[in-house]
Amino acid sequence: MDWGWVFGNIGELASLAARNLYLAMIPVVLGLLIAVPLGVLSVRWGWVYPPVLSATSVIYAIPSLALFVFLIPFTGVVGTTRDLTLIIPLTLYTLATLVPNVVDGLRSVPEPVRQSATAMGFGGLRRLVRVELPIATPVVFAGLRVATVASISLVSVGELIGNGGLGFLFTDGEQRSFPTEIYAGIGLIVILALAADLLLVLLRWLATPWLRSGRRAAPTPGQTA
Amino acid sequence: MTKRYPGSAAPALNALELEIPDGQTMVLVGPSGCGKTTSLRMINRMIDPTEGKIFLDDQDIQQVDPAKLRRGIGYVIQHAGLFPHRTIEDNIGTVPVLIGWGKQKARRRARELMDLVGLDTDMARRYPHQLSGGQQQRVGVARALAADPPVLLMDEPFSAVDPIVRTSLQDELLRLQAELRKTVVFVTHDVEEAIKVGDRVAVFRPGGTLAQVDPPSRLLARPLDDYVAGFLGFDRGIRRLSFFPARTLQLDADPLVPDRTTVAEARTRAKESGQPWLLVTDPQRLPRGWVPIAKLGELPVTRTLAEAPFEAGAHTFRVATDSLRAALDATILSPSGQAAGVDEAGRVLGVTSYDQLLIAIRAMTAGAGHEPGGEGEPA
Repeated sequence: MDWGWVFGNIGELASLAARNLYLAMIPVVLGLLIAVPLGVLSVRWGWVYPPVLSATSVIYAIPSLALFVFLIPFTGVVGTTRDLTLIIPLTLYTLATLVPNVVDGLRSVPEPVRQSATAMGFGGLRRLVRVELPIATPVVFAGLRVATVASISLVSVGELIGNGGLGFLFTDGEQRSFPTEIYAGIGLIVILALAADLLLVLLRWLATPWLRSGRRAAPTPGQTA
Repeated sequence: MTKRYPGSAAPALNALELEIPDGQTMVLVGPSGCGKTTSLRMINRMIDPTEGKIFLDDQDIQQVDPAKLRRGIGYVIQHAGLFPHRTIEDNIGTVPVLIGWGKQKARRRARELMDLVGLDTDMARRYPHQLSGGQQQRVGVARALAADPPVLLMDEPFSAVDPIVRTSLQDELLRLQAELRKTVVFVTHDVEEAIKVGDRVAVFRPGGTLAQVDPPSRLLARPLDDYVAGFLGFDRGIRRLSFFPARTLQLDADPLVPDRTTVAEARTRAKESGQPWLLVTDPQRLPRGWVPIAKLGELPVTRTLAEAPFEAGAHTFRVATDSLRAALDATILSPSGQAAGVDEAGRVLGVTSYDQLLIAIRAMTAGAGHEPGGEGEPA
């Protein structure tokens, strides 16, 4: 491990890492925007869910390289749309984890809660936004964490079409027979994944104050019920 | 009204007709699957009838937008159904916020209601999972009352809590109802609960028809048929005593002796009044226990009764608020066959006996023509 090289190229490494993060996070955000409505529809009309689930799983099984090759005629490997060649497949991959998590999250809303919301005069949309989605948040976040880490790691495959963020270090290190570069790439991907995961844990903590407070407090004296 | 579900030949509710008077508690009771919850949910249009109409005041509720209708009807369910992601005050303020009160006003109202239902306002900022089941149910009641709706629907609200908490929640409801006079529709499968909380009780038959609608006392005295009698269970006569006040009992002060009385004096007192048992009281006139005269013979005459071997724990009933049922129960449990009637502070006013109870019960039976109509005080 040649630490001198690492410190000498720190600026270049940082910009590769930033690019890797960008290419990984856009698909996660887009994936969430698609997964929420799909999940809502799947919960509302149960018959929607099995085909949606099969579709997302089948897509997940398609090798990324095959999807790149399929997209290249449309979005290319150079020019303004070249990022889409990578972003579109990665977005589709996140759906395989995000859709089931949105569905499970919405299904975790207790029936009495749903009923009492309706009985108090919440319309369907208001109930979804104010009651069901907030309660689903923790489960959705669990899916986001998996999707994010997977996405950060998958970006490097994009190097096969010349757009792979930190993946550049693997091919370049291989060609130059310079293992330090490969190790640096691995190390940075791991650091990036851990940092993103930590950030999501923090976000979840901020978004779900009701899960922070301890369990049942000691009963107040004189309070029998 | 009638409700049929697709795929089921028999209707869930069959030509039900029920009038619910303003400001009273109507209990719907019956075995599971008898349509009582279905009926309740038709009132706020959670379920729509297949045939028939429901009027709230003079308004046909089918003509009202369901969301608007529901904001004017409080709803309490078995597991409270509180929003886990909202604090207690925001849970209670749900409907006020929906109808546009603004958050601050809704929170002030929430605290008022916490007081009303007997919750410490320190809990306002807590989340539902930090409260016990009974406390959550109180929050559920407060939430239903928040926008001061004239009508309150309660679907087995106290079924999921333990018996002690259930009793205290029922008492709380009776107290609230005496104060607020809402029109309450209360569903339960527990006939004891129905009799305790209802001004009127509607007994449902399996198959979604009504068997009888009457005030609880009348229901106990005169079930219309074997089904209702069987549903009410045994002990109907004894349970009916709950609706007649103990204050009609004649109380006898003769057996009362202060604990500073000597054995010699006590014997004289007993001989004069012909009492086989004496009730020993302390200087505040709180009951200490019963002493049998027979036992006094074994004691030195100069001793005071404070040292006598009395049977501790006199069985008492509150004269002002208890029912004949409580008085009878205390009498049965008492070693002397007499029970001490006490005032609000627990001081003995006098004792009653089987003879006195018999007189009161006979008077009650004779007066059965005018029913107490649920106005009595259930014990």
